[in-house]
Amino acid sequence: MKTLIKYEFLKILRKKSTLIVMAASLLITAFFFGLPVLQFQTYNQDGVLQGLAGIQYEKEQYTEISVPLTNEYVTKTIREVQELFEDPENVGYDGNEQFLIEDAYWNGIAPRESLLDLIAGNYADPNVSAGYSALTDLDVSDGTDFYQARQDKIEKILNDSSKELSEAEKDYWRNLNSKVEEPFQYGYYEGWEVIISAFELLMFAVLAVCIVIAPVFSGEYQAGTDAVLLSGKYGKTKLTTAKILAALFFGVLAFTLHVLLAFGLPLAAFGTDGWNLPLQINGTTVPYPLTFLEGTLINLGVIYLVLLAMIGVTLFLSARMKSPYLVPNFGSYLSYQFGPVVLDAFAVRTVLYAVLALILLPLAGRGFRRHQAA
Amino acid sequence: MELQLQRLCKQYGIKAAVDQVSVHLEPGVYGLLGANGAGKTTLMRMICGVLKPTSGSIRLDGKTMQELGEQYYTHLGYMPQDFGFYPDFTAREFMLYMAAVKGMEKKAAKARTEELLELVNLRDAADKKIKSYSGGMKQRLGIAQAELNAPDILILDEPTTGLDPKERVRFRNIISGFARDKIVILSTHIVSDISYIADTILMMKQGKILLQGSMEEVTDSIRGKVWEVLVDDREADRYSRNLRVVNLHHEGNQVRLRMVEDTAPAPDARAVEPSLEDLFLYHFGEEVQGERREKDENFDQV
Repeated sequence: MKTLIKYEFLKILRKKSTLIVMAASLLITAFFFGLPVLQFQTYNQDGVLQGLAGIQYEKEQYTEISVPLTNEYVTKTIREVQELFEDPENVGYDGNEQFLIEDAYWNGIAPRESLLDLIAGNYADPNVSAGYSALTDLDVSDGTDFYQARQDKIEKILNDSSKELSEAEKDYWRNLNSKVEEPFQYGYYEGWEVIISAFELLMFAVLAVCIVIAPVFSGEYQAGTDAVLLSGKYGKTKLTTAKILAALFFGVLAFTLHVLLAFGLPLAAFGTDGWNLPLQINGTTVPYPLTFLEGTLINLGVIYLVLLAMIGVTLFLSARMKSPYLVPNFGSYLSYQFGPVVLDAFAVRTVLYAVLALILLPLAGRGFRRHQAA
Repeated sequence: MELQLQRLCKQYGIKAAVDQVSVHLEPGVYGLLGANGAGKTTLMRMICGVLKPTSGSIRLDGKTMQELGEQYYTHLGYMPQDFGFYPDFTAREFMLYMAAVKGMEKKAAKARTEELLELVNLRDAADKKIKSYSGGMKQRLGIAQAELNAPDILILDEPTTGLDPKERVRFRNIISGFARDKIVILSTHIVSDISYIADTILMMKQGKILLQGSMEEVTDSIRGKVWEVLVDDREADRYSRNLRVVNLHHEGNQVRLRMVEDTAPAPDARAVEPSLEDLFLYHFGEEVQGERREKDENFDQV
């Protein structure tokens, strides 16, 4: 079996198309996950800081605020902002809302704006964005219970009628939320945020893997090697398993290479800081009691399952189709017989794609029509 | 070793590609002869277990393929027509891969690969990628892979097609070398290949076995139907258009024609010893002439 897997793997690997598709896909992944590094910019009073210099500056700003978000600390922070707003010299107005200007902004807000937004967001209604200026509306004369405010907001989310959550579902989320540790430890987590927010871009890598493994079975039909393979002792048994395992092995390996690149670029630039911080510091109502690293690993697990499922679908189609390509070749004599009816590859593909379109497009429309805008 | 085909059929819609074929095969070289579309490849693919018969059975030493399961395939070596290769594999890699597909042990596979590559004269090119091989080299590699598991039944579908005469002779010798004590079924429409190496001729037409027997036995069936006649150019042309002319040889101003006809085509026609080629033309004359006409038309178009 090992030998069969080895040669099946070599068959995939030695194709020029494999190298081309993989190289292109790695470049795309590098571009997507490297872009936040290249485009990163932060500001101070002297102007814009870009790229690695900007990252370094921002990291330094976080040293002051890498603290546990206790109720006392939150109260103190809100008061500091409110005091800044009390001096009219510090306040600007754009016709819509007030904001801090000059030193008040650069010294009192800019170094911790993300934290202030997080705190303000905790007190805002669900789906309402709030910046640091919203902190002026809060009454903290007797202190504040940051975590009670969080619970209240979560209750609002759970009881939102458009969500139509059953009591059992609400209890499930309450129970999960109760496991979230308090107080939240705040800190720098930019690298992990980039990874988590760009996770779905790894679908390009999944697509590339599927393109490469598409000819695993159908390539044999097209090359004319199917007959000789199927007449071998293991042609219908172990060889089939070996082909599937080789495709899975290649898929997982190639995808892992993409993952390493996708994770490596932001983590190399932003650092691994924040791996042990709770996901709640990126949004207080997150119900999962996980750190950024744990969250990333769970996302990774899910996307690996997506990969396996896509490999399964691709191999299924590969075994069923006589040509690995989406559009048949005019020069090939590919035909399929369904009882007395013979159809060429173009006709079969036309019917197949039309049927898929006829089924999937109405389903897509139905999905949108039935969607409850929460 | 005994291979029995019993009322074997393969139906495609209303057309029977193989129609009620019953044959009993024992060790020896069987030349499966027939025009294109006679059902040779379909029959071979069914024997190889890669095509499911519509009806009938295939038995090896009394047991059906289903009863033997994987074991059946250990007795089999197959070289299909238009056999595809993996262009990025070397010949050695390809052989080792095929050995693994055939379930051979690693050590035995290596030894057998070396032995066969030597035998088919590919040892020096064993580490070259197959995409750099000539047609003849690929055919030799094809027979070598078929012989890897030292099969009791060797099935070769049109193995000499596309080879030049020198390669064909070389190939025939390789097949003869492998043929000892096994059932070799060799399909071709190149009559001379079969006449050199086959012990028994199986002639197929429209899915049925038309004739079966030794060379003498099958050619005997047209004894008294092969004629030679010496005519002028104009007459030769007329004969060629209307009768089944096997051969045409210019002798000075005249032409010696060899024909297969049930009755003497001319009063001075002389009956001669029939050959396999005569037999082929006797049964497939129309198909062959049809193919020739098609080729001529294509040539004219070019």
